Amino acid sequence: MDPNQLWQSALSEIELQVSKPNFVTWLKNSRLIERQDGVALVSLPNNFAKEWVENKYNKIILAAIRNLDETTKKIEFVVESQQNSLTKLRSRAQVKKVFLDQQSFSEWRVDPQTNLNPRYSLSSFVVGSSNELAYAAAQGVIKDVGKKYNPLFIYGGVGLGKTHLMQGLGNEIKNLYDNKIKVKYVSSEAFTSEVVAGMRNKRMEDIKEKYRLIDVLIIDDIQFIEGKEKTEEEFFHTFNALYENNKQIIISSDRPPHFLPTLQERLRSRFEGGMISKLDQPDFELRMAVLKTKLQDKESSLPDNIISLIATKVQKNFRELEGVLNRILFYQNTKNTDITLKSAEEIINEATQQPIKNINPNQVIKGVADHFEISIADLISPSRKKNLVEPRQIAIYLLRDILDLSYPSIGEKLGNRDHTTAIYAFSKLSKEIIKNQVLNHQILTIKDKILKV
Amino acid sequence: MKLIILQSNLKNGLETVGRATADNNNLPILKNILIKTYNNKIKLSATNLELAVTNLISGKIIEEGGITVPFSVLSGIVNNCDSDKINLEVKNNVLNFKTDNYEANIQGLDEEDFPIIPKIENDKNFLSINFDIFKEALLKVLPAIQISDIRPEISGLLFDFQLTNFKLVGTDSFRLAEKTILEKDFKTNFPRGFKSIIPLKTIQEVVRVVNKEDLNIYIDPNQILFKNDELEIISRLIDGYYPDYEAIIPKELDSECSLNRELFSNAVKLVSNFTGKVNDIKIRTKEGKKTVEIYSANQYFGENNYLIPTKIKGDDFEISYNWRYLLEGLKNFNSEELIFSVNGDAKPTLIKSAGDSSYFYLLMPIKS
Repeated sequence: MDPNQLWQSALSEIELQVSKPNFVTWLKNSRLIERQDGVALVSLPNNFAKEWVENKYNKIILAAIRNLDETTKKIEFVVESQQNSLTKLRSRAQVKKVFLDQQSFSEWRVDPQTNLNPRYSLSSFVVGSSNELAYAAAQGVIKDVGKKYNPLFIYGGVGLGKTHLMQGLGNEIKNLYDNKIKVKYVSSEAFTSEVVAGMRNKRMEDIKEKYRLIDVLIIDDIQFIEGKEKTEEEFFHTFNALYENNKQIIISSDRPPHFLPTLQERLRSRFEGGMISKLDQPDFELRMAVLKTKLQDKESSLPDNIISLIATKVQKNFRELEGVLNRILFYQNTKNTDITLKSAEEIINEATQQPIKNINPNQVIKGVADHFEISIADLISPSRKKNLVEPRQIAIYLLRDILDLSYPSIGEKLGNRDHTTAIYAFSKLSKEIIKNQVLNHQILTIKDKILKV
Repeated sequence: MKLIILQSNLKNGLETVGRATADNNNLPILKNILIKTYNNKIKLSATNLELAVTNLISGKIIEEGGITVPFSVLSGIVNNCDSDKINLEVKNNVLNFKTDNYEANIQGLDEEDFPIIPKIENDKNFLSINFDIFKEALLKVLPAIQISDIRPEISGLLFDFQLTNFKLVGTDSFRLAEKTILEKDFKTNFPRGFKSIIPLKTIQEVVRVVNKEDLNIYIDPNQILFKNDELEIISRLIDGYYPDYEAIIPKELDSECSLNRELFSNAVKLVSNFTGKVNDIKIRTKEGKKTVEIYSANQYFGENNYLIPTKIKGDDFEISYNWRYLLEGLKNFNSEELIFSVNGDAKPTLIKSAGDSSYFYLLMPIKS
């Protein structure tokens, strides 16, 4: 017989033998956990109830259970925590507003049990060509937790939505399965400090225990545990314990596993054994879509030409995109006028401006030449071989983009070319980078290199 | 049961256990206290099923036994009784209370019906500490704790034991106080560290009723016991994960100034007279970073400000706080100089003492 049913029937018999107040006080929230080898294990909500029931009702309960199940010889009692009632209480009370303008510690909005921030959800994750694969993998995980894609390894640069995707995934699983699947989100930094504290307090077993009870473990920014031996080892064991029990593991990093050089081989090979998906830099359409979603969330609006200006100019990542959007909205709110294309451009330039360094045209030309491994002489030579034309056009684009040189002087710098050549190359690339992701990425990489020198 | 007991002893004993009684419709016996002879002493106990307080008092025992009687009736009689000696005798669940010129019969309930006070499982390992040190530490942290239905896990004191020190932490999510007690101030044979959350009410009772120097603390996964020769306070622990408070302690700070504690508290008290409903006062840097101005204004009363000379390292700032929260924090320091460090108006402000790193107070500003 199912322990729950058995206990309910036993309770109805016990209820007849003890007074109503006593029954309500001591046996409410009790539960039959399991029966094994003739011992029935009953959980009670607190120590008072345990003492009382153990001393006063032991016989009554044993008799009631034996009436239903002869094999039981003995009853044992334990105190069981009431996590569930706590969680219920919390979700009910969450509606209450914090008074006035007193701010609270913002980091604490996360759910202490799962560490997930409810702000992130999959429904607010905007899908485009650069992240659809990762998104599809996440959907696969939700449908078939622990089996289909395990481990799921998500990588991509800063601000491309790794954390959003993983936290959203965690929240989705938590809500979909109604807290029955235990999700835990940790940053690898938090994991490390937990391991350190565990070693100091001689409580490593507790950490092991804690993580092994989890059904879905999400670890963010795994690259940070690289090289921390003890943490890596602990993670490895946790990973194995979970993996062997078909528990879902989701990991993110800024690089693919084989680019984590000092990570131990055994860990790396495990990461590579699952599903690896990449978050790419967002393309123009995705940036537009994200901007529009953000505007909707903020319940404000901007003219289309300004949105598309932002999407064109700010290419690096979503965080920067949001930052610029916030600035423009702030400007609009404080000045109380609609923003013009010109002032929007100023704000964008101000926001995305790289730290000013003395960069001269020669550095730009050299940077491009170095990137393509050609000589500067070749780059500015009159030759129109295909392997030289493209770098040359990129050089023109960057000279204009970074230094804002005039077209005639760009032409002059690149082997005394006509200014129309420069105009043609610049406008061609400006159009093309919106469509061509590879090219866009390439140009950004070169730009980064030049600016970093 | 038959006893002779001094009025003052009984009175003290009742005061110690009294607050642990409870009004419970299902279990009216929780309004009662248990009087019972025990090892030549008289044991008084009360419980609300979350917390139980037991106090041993001395008296002359003529006949062993026990009874439970309503606390309010007994304490009302004892407090107003003018005789030194009190005779107590139990017959058929009635407590006969007799002095030279007064006699009462109080209807009681059988001691067998009184809840059994749980014991701690692990009674081998404990921590012993001088109560004065412990109390001082508790009082610095308690003001920051508030009962919260939304977040039961912070409605208590975090007791974070780490072998070589232990930390007491309290917060209501607007401010947070942490006090560290170092190894030299306690003795222990706990083999491992632990983290427990002790209900606010329990801690308040500990602060209120412990009156001896030594205190031993025992712990198991669900309960904590505070104990000395005469007194035992056992309580459930709050179930849940305490939020990762270390993550909110700022590691880098925009600006820092050192302030004289007394000047600063006085300034806050003075300036607070002009605050409105929000309780907000502004603190801002002035005059080329040599002065801090404390300012408040109210459209009905007017405005006022107070200048404190200081040296400011870092950026200029202008931040609003709830002055009550600020003052409650300042009260907890004993040192002359405080270090007031800010990180803009959306991140917590850190207040600590110049010489003593064992205590700090974190406070979130009011949105400006």
